[in-house]
Amino acid sequence: MKTFTNRNPESVGHAVSIARDAIGGGRSVVFAGGGTDLLQLVKERIPNRPGSGAPDVIINLKGIAEMNGVSRRNDGGLAIGGLTSLSAVSANTDVSARYNAVAEAAVSVATLQMRNVGTIAGNVCQRPWCWYYRNGFDCFKAGGNQCYSVSGENQLHAIFGGGPSFIVHPSDVAPALVAFDAIFRVAGSNGERRLSADEFFVLPRDDARHENVLADDEVLVSIELPAASGNVRSGFRKLMDRATWTHAVGSAAVALDMDGDTCRSASIVLGGVAPIPWRVEAAEQMLAGQTITAELAEAVGRAAVEGAQPLAKNRYKVPMTQRLVERTVLAVAG
Amino acid sequence: MAVDPMKTLGQDTPRVDAYERVTGRATYNRDIKLPGMLYARVLRSTVPHAMVRRIDTSKAEALPGVRAVMTHETHKIPYGSGSISGGRQYSDPHKDITTRLRYTFNEHVRYVGEPVAAVAAVNRHIAEEALQLIEIEYDELPFVMDVEEAVAAGAPEIWEGGNIAHDSENRQQPIGGQTGDLQAGFSEADQIFEERFTTAFIQDAQLEPRSSLAHWEGDKLILHTPTQGVSNCRHDTARDLGLEDHQVQVVCKYMGGGFGDKNGNYYFDLIAAAFARDLGVPVMVELSRKDDWLGTHGRWHTVQDYRVGVKDDGTVTAIEVNGKSGMGPYLRRSGNVSGMDVYACENTSKAILPVHTNRMVSGNFRAPAYPQGYFAISSMMDDVAYKMGVDPVQFALKNMVRPTETKQFTNYALDQCIAMGAEQFDWQRRWNPNPGSAEGPIKRGAGMSFMMFNARLGASSAIVRAASGGRYTVYVGVTDIGPGAKTTMSMLAAETLDVPLSSVDIVWGDSDRCPYSVGESGSRCTTMTGFAVVEAARDLKRQIDERGLPTGDDVLIASATPAPSTNGKLREGFGAHFAEVEVDTQLGDVRVTKYLTVHESGRILNPLPALDQIRGAVIQGIGQALKEDVLYDTNTGHPLMTGYYFARHLTHLDVPEIENTFIETDDGYGPYGAKTVGESGIIIAPATIANAVYNAIGVRMKDLPITRDKILEAVA
Repeated sequence: MKTFTNRNPESVGHAVSIARDAIGGGRSVVFAGGGTDLLQLVKERIPNRPGSGAPDVIINLKGIAEMNGVSRRNDGGLAIGGLTSLSAVSANTDVSARYNAVAEAAVSVATLQMRNVGTIAGNVCQRPWCWYYRNGFDCFKAGGNQCYSVSGENQLHAIFGGGPSFIVHPSDVAPALVAFDAIFRVAGSNGERRLSADEFFVLPRDDARHENVLADDEVLVSIELPAASGNVRSGFRKLMDRATWTHAVGSAAVALDMDGDTCRSASIVLGGVAPIPWRVEAAEQMLAGQTITAELAEAVGRAAVEGAQPLAKNRYKVPMTQRLVERTVLAVAG
Repeated sequence: MAVDPMKTLGQDTPRVDAYERVTGRATYNRDIKLPGMLYARVLRSTVPHAMVRRIDTSKAEALPGVRAVMTHETHKIPYGSGSISGGRQYSDPHKDITTRLRYTFNEHVRYVGEPVAAVAAVNRHIAEEALQLIEIEYDELPFVMDVEEAVAAGAPEIWEGGNIAHDSENRQQPIGGQTGDLQAGFSEADQIFEERFTTAFIQDAQLEPRSSLAHWEGDKLILHTPTQGVSNCRHDTARDLGLEDHQVQVVCKYMGGGFGDKNGNYYFDLIAAAFARDLGVPVMVELSRKDDWLGTHGRWHTVQDYRVGVKDDGTVTAIEVNGKSGMGPYLRRSGNVSGMDVYACENTSKAILPVHTNRMVSGNFRAPAYPQGYFAISSMMDDVAYKMGVDPVQFALKNMVRPTETKQFTNYALDQCIAMGAEQFDWQRRWNPNPGSAEGPIKRGAGMSFMMFNARLGASSAIVRAASGGRYTVYVGVTDIGPGAKTTMSMLAAETLDVPLSSVDIVWGDSDRCPYSVGESGSRCTTMTGFAVVEAARDLKRQIDERGLPTGDDVLIASATPAPSTNGKLREGFGAHFAEVEVDTQLGDVRVTKYLTVHESGRILNPLPALDQIRGAVIQGIGQALKEDVLYDTNTGHPLMTGYYFARHLTHLDVPEIENTFIETDDGYGPYGAKTVGESGIIIAPATIANAVYNAIGVRMKDLPITRDKILEAVA
């Protein structure tokens, strides 16, 4: 492991100023939440920030009280501090009552030990679990100029939104947050930004090296969930290559705003199949104003994979995703 | 003949060292601290095939805290002395004639992960930091990852003379041979079936990352290293360093799993020994988890082409297999595939070529030649049974090996294992005569397989001592990799001496203090070393009967080195496995919903760990069937699935309840009739799962592991 400096700021402003000063002095910086993944990367000398090598300074956010916990907002929504552990997110009754898909996604992550330590911001911002990046290849994600999966082993790679990098976004909670139109509150040297999912996550065609717009000195402070009506039912389903402790081969977060048996509107966001949480609007629209039947759910599944562009070794993900959407919609509709 | 529990043997007995292990008092290799010791790390090749053109260690040497750097330029130490290593039972004579000498560091590097340098420093962090400062330039060579391509014309030569591995006489010829008359067997057949099966390379993946601590007392090397066989490790190390056996002491008290890959020495033992000799202080070489994946051995991957002739009445008349095993660039173990001898068919031909590639090195992994061999032949025969319209259980009972005039067994229980398993599993109810015909997307199916595994007898030694106060000490060269050998050896002595287990102490895991043991490999520890314990204990009991228990400082000592034989009879353990799976044909998930095994392993000396051995082995087998792989990027020659995360090892939540019944017998051989347990449980687990998947979906899965992508492609 490369030698680094550890800093323990007590406020977001302090954290950002440490980062700004270090970067100004030519030193590379990363922010640590739970650190469950970050320290692995540091040990293996895999660049956490593309092109910057192992970090010189690790800014440990754990002492920042304002970033921890779930609070109710005046507009009826919730604010989830970036440092809130995944266990705390899934156990929070405000989350599970109105945003069940978020709670289900949080509890699906990794293992209990990691959920107790790992944070929601860390889960959203973790680097890809592509086996090229994680094995030290100098790919886009490490700061290089190619994606090795294109002509290599792409069984677990993107079927939507890929190119020139074909990673899949590794977060389980992100699709659920996006299904509820979450706002990502970011703080940095240039002040604070409140970003929608469309603004926060970036496709590789816009920036192949990063998964989101966070600058080197920016922190994901909190995630805001807009008010959700009591008629919204939601759920999250994750397919894994073993029963636990792995990322999604594909996941679906579904939120249905119901009026009796009729679906007023629907959100369907996929994980594990695209470089960002992947919203399937055409499929969502098919549900609006409809009574959800097995036949409709099947059609919604088909619509969800419309336009999929599989690689040589991940064609299986297309029918898999189709059925995953179909079944999750049916399960949530009850 | 059924057996009754004895006073000590046959009673559920917790491990004698359970308390030390679970309270953290057991001293594993990395726990050992010696005054003034240094720590060493190994730098590994980042290219699959190259000549090292230039290696510059000056910056690493200049780093404060670094004591020495070692490369192929400074140290030319043979490793495995150029041949299959692993002690006396392997091919010592070949080490004198081999033309394919492997060194601890090779100028000609042949796989990603091959050691190219090592650094010793005052702590592990400086050693690791120094590795980053070593500059290497390679002249890269073309590489080959696939066994078929490796033997094709024009393939890059990993060794001069081609990529087929040398046998013990430097010949490049297949493993196997013929029995009966193959052509006559095919002529007799009404139908002939052909299929190709492949199995993946998988890592042993034991929990304890490896390390080796060496120090010298004069011209004697003391080596603390996690090995399954202190005797074999001593012999290998002495041989590689040009020492006599008595100049090497190997100590291994506790280890975190072995699974077959640790019987014998390793290159890092030699690095530790050389650093310690050069620097005059103890040196511990440590492997990181990733090192442990790249720089050790796993199960050889295979391609197996089967051809089987069958008569209309379902009798198999001919079996032919031609295959290739991927050994990586160095031959560590045989590359054989097994399984054919569980069938009665007398007309057979087997030809398996061990092939070198630029992948990581293959070695022994729990029943080294068996799970991949049984997967292929059992899948093949299962397929034939369906094609002939015969229930696989009936096909098994018709075609399995049985005792004949020329093929005699010390006892035979294969029919009983299959019949009992089928009944307990409720085969008739769970098995679907029309594979894949179940309604709905989630399809259930049932599969079975059956096996036998040699319960060898052979030479091993033990010493048993009586002291005053009724204390007894057993000296055995075992290291206890998991099956509980220390406990078993103590129980055998207690039973034979007719004393309580609590009066028996054990001295183990030290080649200076313990006599020769084959070590924990080939499931032979109980049958060989255990037999020696019984013989020595009997001798001691006779001495005590004649002279009375020793008093004061007196002791009585007995030793034994028996080399029992079965007088030409086959001594086999038998087993049958049955599994039920649910396959989600839309999502590709496979869930094992029931797993039931019946094993005949002779007398079960300690039922508690015996059951754990079967269960642990089945779990590994299910992993091999459905999950595990070490996939390579064939464009760059780099492995992609390194570590527990990517290699997809099963978690507790993936594992079903595994029910097992032991049919206990005493065939009059071995220690109180004990046979083998440790490896038996893994042998047919992949085959059983694969056959169940076929029964569920109606498509034969011929390539391990049977992953989601393959299932969804198959049913698409």
